[in-house]
Amino acid sequence: MMLALIDNAFLSLIASAIPASTVVVLAATGCLLGERVGVLNMGQEGLIGIGAVYSVIAVTSWNVTSPWTAMLIGMVAAAVAGFVFAIAVVVVRASQVLVGLALALGGVGLSNQLGTNRNGTPITTLFREVDPGGAFQTGGVVEAFFFHDPVVYIAYVALPALLWFVMFRTRHGMNMRAVGENPAAADAAGVSVMGSRLVYCVLGAAISGAGGAYMVLSFTPTWSPDIARGRGWVALAVVIFAVWKPFWVVAGALLYGSMISLDATAQARGWSLPFLGGSDLGFFLSMLPFLATLVAILVPAAAAQLGLRSRSTAAPAALAVPYSREER
Amino acid sequence: MRVLGAVVALLASGLALLLSGRNPIGLGIDALDAVFGSRRGIEGTALRALPILMTALGVALALRIKVWNIGSDGQFLMGAFAAVGVGIHLSGPGWFVLIVMALAATLAGAVWILVPALARAYWDVNEIITTLLLNFVAVQLVTWAALGFWRDTGAAVIQSTEQVPVVLASLPGTQSLTIALLVPIAIAAALAWVFRSSKWGYEVDIVGGNPKAGVFAGINVRRRILVVMLISGSIAGLGGMLQLSAPGAQALSSGFSAQFGLAGFIVAALAGGSFRGVIVAGFFIASMFFAGLVLQTKGLSVFIIFAIYGVILTGIAIGEVAARYRLVRTDVAPPRPGGVPA
Repeated sequence: MMLALIDNAFLSLIASAIPASTVVVLAATGCLLGERVGVLNMGQEGLIGIGAVYSVIAVTSWNVTSPWTAMLIGMVAAAVAGFVFAIAVVVVRASQVLVGLALALGGVGLSNQLGTNRNGTPITTLFREVDPGGAFQTGGVVEAFFFHDPVVYIAYVALPALLWFVMFRTRHGMNMRAVGENPAAADAAGVSVMGSRLVYCVLGAAISGAGGAYMVLSFTPTWSPDIARGRGWVALAVVIFAVWKPFWVVAGALLYGSMISLDATAQARGWSLPFLGGSDLGFFLSMLPFLATLVAILVPAAAAQLGLRSRSTAAPAALAVPYSREER
Repeated sequence: MRVLGAVVALLASGLALLLSGRNPIGLGIDALDAVFGSRRGIEGTALRALPILMTALGVALALRIKVWNIGSDGQFLMGAFAAVGVGIHLSGPGWFVLIVMALAATLAGAVWILVPALARAYWDVNEIITTLLLNFVAVQLVTWAALGFWRDTGAAVIQSTEQVPVVLASLPGTQSLTIALLVPIAIAAALAWVFRSSKWGYEVDIVGGNPKAGVFAGINVRRRILVVMLISGSIAGLGGMLQLSAPGAQALSSGFSAQFGLAGFIVAALAGGSFRGVIVAGFFIASMFFAGLVLQTKGLSVFIIFAIYGVILTGIAIGEVAARYRLVRTDVAPPRPGGVPA
């Protein structure tokens, strides 16, 4: 009986963690794509906001009736922002930290401004859950893992698999990683450093924007100011935790998501701890996702300190370093 | 060049406002009038300048050793948190309580950056994200204090902690300012002196310029990074106490910091590690912030101010590149008489 209770609580935790982490999975994947070619885009918070607000505008003002189209519009808007960012840091070679923060600040400000008149408007154009069929409706494990909308499967399975294959099993992927590790060598070998940085920066921004679109088209589903609520920063942390590997991103994001849903689960089930009864527990648990993320960042470094991690899993060597052919 | 970049960015923002059907010149005049047209405007700007200056000084100090402290907002909040904790529980003469509050806030700011600082100094963990994540934790903790364990149960409407009974003396000749405003100016002067005249400041600059050179010069680079980050956090923490001990601001609520840390970050980036520059840039950004508050009545929202912050920061970053831009002539070996390159 006790075991069954724990089992159920754990499953419901996972079931609610999966949609809660999807935003982070997408943003972190977009971020990873840029970082692998040496561009650190710290503006994830802004990209999520822009992707979200343009999806909301699409369904509320432009009469878009398909969530896929709305998401695409959000992605294009985020890609445009990512393009501006890429021009500033790749072509002009401005500080990636400063421009990234500018994108975070400006993107959040802009999206809040654009969303002003749409606060709290319920979104009805939503992604539908994939129903695996009556035979599977037994609750438990099946319910936890197989009743999500298609975006979840794309974010958790298809996209990481595709990225992994391209990055680690194709020549193009090797060139791409070379640009992030040693751009001068890649350049000498005939790979366009600026070109691949621009392309993957914009593509990454679009995927991060898809995260924002997912928030308003499935997760929340409504617009509210500061929609990302720190998820963009968590995504950046998740990439570090994942040591720049696509499937580890999924694991890191789920860790964050389960902390988020721990809060909701605790409230729903009326849990309490000896020192933290009632509302105090809720306040405490709301700090937990960010604390857990902080600890997660320290994990690879701690592993390296203990000699558990080889050097090959460190950050791309040219991360956040502008490349100029003339100065090599 | 950084300043030029910021100015160009401001003009670009004005253009964007124009394109969205607003009148930027009218708004600009309104803004100038709001800030400089009245005593209230000037004092209002100075009031906002205090937290921005304190966080900016912390960030600017860390920038000298090439560390990005983006968690100054959290350190500021934790300083205020510690100050409230002391202020509502400690009884004694006013000056004594204020001193203990200031010490507690300074310590709290340092404690809040301790883990990122240790991780950065000894494990080489990037400090940008670790410091920033703690901002969110600080906001939640302050919210918890305001709605939970230190909640003012007497006030039913305003959800905040109890009020601290003591305030700092007011600045002579002003209505709403306290002597707290002198603190950032004193700290800026002290830091400017440290970096101009002391061995410690010189060594920090060496480490900031080239950590390897620091190691070869026999400087304990890791400890320098740790100490600089702790001081950076404590300045922001003290800022939280100073902000809290002004008349009318004596309680802590979840909205206590209007992203002052981010504004402070922009100020430090604009000043580029110059402490005198921080004071000038701080008042400039504070006047923008105050103008934004006033202009809300004219249909301009505070969100636009943040969007403009973003544009300004981009302008600063591009200005920095422009400042470094040089045409460098590299000698190419002249072609040999035979025409065959070596």
